[in-house]
Amino acid sequence: MNITEEMKDNISRIYLEGRFDANTCADVEKFIREKVEEGKYRFVINMEKVPFIASAGLRVILVFAKELRQKFKGDLLISNLQSSVERVFEISGLKNVLKIYDNMENALQSFKIEN
Amino acid sequence: MKVRFWGVRGSVASPMTNAELAVKIETALQLAVKAGLKAETEIPAFMKSLPCYVRETVGGNTACVEIQAGDKLLILDGGTGIRMLGLDMIRRDYGGKPIEAHILLTHTHWDHISGLPFFVPGFNPKNKLTIYGAFSNLEARIRNQQKFEYFPVPLPAAFHFVQLKENSVFQIGDVQIETLPLNHPGGSHSYRMTHQNKSIVYATDSEYKDLSNHSLRPFIRFFQDADMLIFDAQFTLLENIEKEDWGHSNVFCGIDMAIEAGVKKLMLIHHDPAYNDQKLYKIFQDASEYLEIYAPDRNLEICLASEGLTLTV
Ligand SMILES: [Zn+2]
Ligand SMILES: [Zn+2]
Repeated sequence: MNITEEMKDNISRIYLEGRFDANTCADVEKFIREKVEEGKYRFVINMEKVPFIASAGLRVILVFAKELRQKFKGDLLISNLQSSVERVFEISGLKNVLKIYDNMENALQSFKIEN
Repeated sequence: MKVRFWGVRGSVASPMTNAELAVKIETALQLAVKAGLKAETEIPAFMKSLPCYVRETVGGNTACVEIQAGDKLLILDGGTGIRMLGLDMIRRDYGGKPIEAHILLTHTHWDHISGLPFFVPGFNPKNKLTIYGAFSNLEARIRNQQKFEYFPVPLPAAFHFVQLKENSVFQIGDVQIETLPLNHPGGSHSYRMTHQNKSIVYATDSEYKDLSNHSLRPFIRFFQDADMLIFDAQFTLLENIEKEDWGHSNVFCGIDMAIEAGVKKLMLIHHDPAYNDQKLYKIFQDASEYLEIYAPDRNLEICLASEGLTLTV
């Protein structure tokens, strides 16, 4: 899993590349944890290059979204899902509780509207 | 090995309500009108065509699974489902010999032991019913359930006990049994039963919070290449995360672990008492789609366990 970050306008944009499953969930968790510890509480996770997400990945995303909302009044948004990954978000129920956007712009826009 | 599910509900026995029954009847009648049913002779075929959440129920009895392995009768857990199993057992032909059964307990939460006082083969002192458990004070815990304050009669003499250690390996006849501690408040233990090169793993009441390969490794190793994995899928994935530290799991996690371990058949059990048949069927359908997306080329089969379901491994 390749993970990169771009920080702009106080929003951390995280780009994931590769399968997001039991092999890679610990890397993503560690990466985001470090950012949270640096005091970053607003994230957009771009998953354009994630061909598959397993329960391990879903869990990491949901646990962070919950923590950021409850403890820091922040959030973790999702953008650019491939269709099969989007379907997994739907059938696992995560689509009902997370904010998911077609593209990065719309996700960033929603953070700005909230401000 | 022959496997029969006598109780698949978790937490507490949860009989179907009248309202749920009424919905089933109404749905069946609506479908009958749609199908233009004219004669009684058409009913059996029509019944078969009904969705399973209309035609039947997963059942409200708590954990109990029967495994016949050669001439040995193994019983996994003694939830309320064991009452019906006991009634069935006394109708079977033992050639005049007393009944012998081996009851393997995962832990002593009520949903896994509360059927034991109603297990009729226990009433005949000639029968030999051996209870196994890898948790502390096995015998005292089971006897205490039938102290006078809780039940009118003490545990009868037909019951015997074998206190296991954690991570035990032992034989019951030619069946090899292994145990593994699971993640559950107060502890729970999985059993792996191997007979004539076939393996069944019973792994209920366990929560997997850290889903990284590293942390799941002991479980994957224990489940490795099992012909059947009977798995605690109590909650939806969302509710599983909401109910952190309740000690249960979900079907998505079960599929991921089963694929990783090369399991052939994944049986979903310990259904939440708040989930009705329709909801459980929906969870199962979503899980089937997830499996199709995740691993269309694997030959893992998943199955929603229901009362009375009998399978051969
Ligand atoms: Zn239980
Ligand atoms: Zn329990």
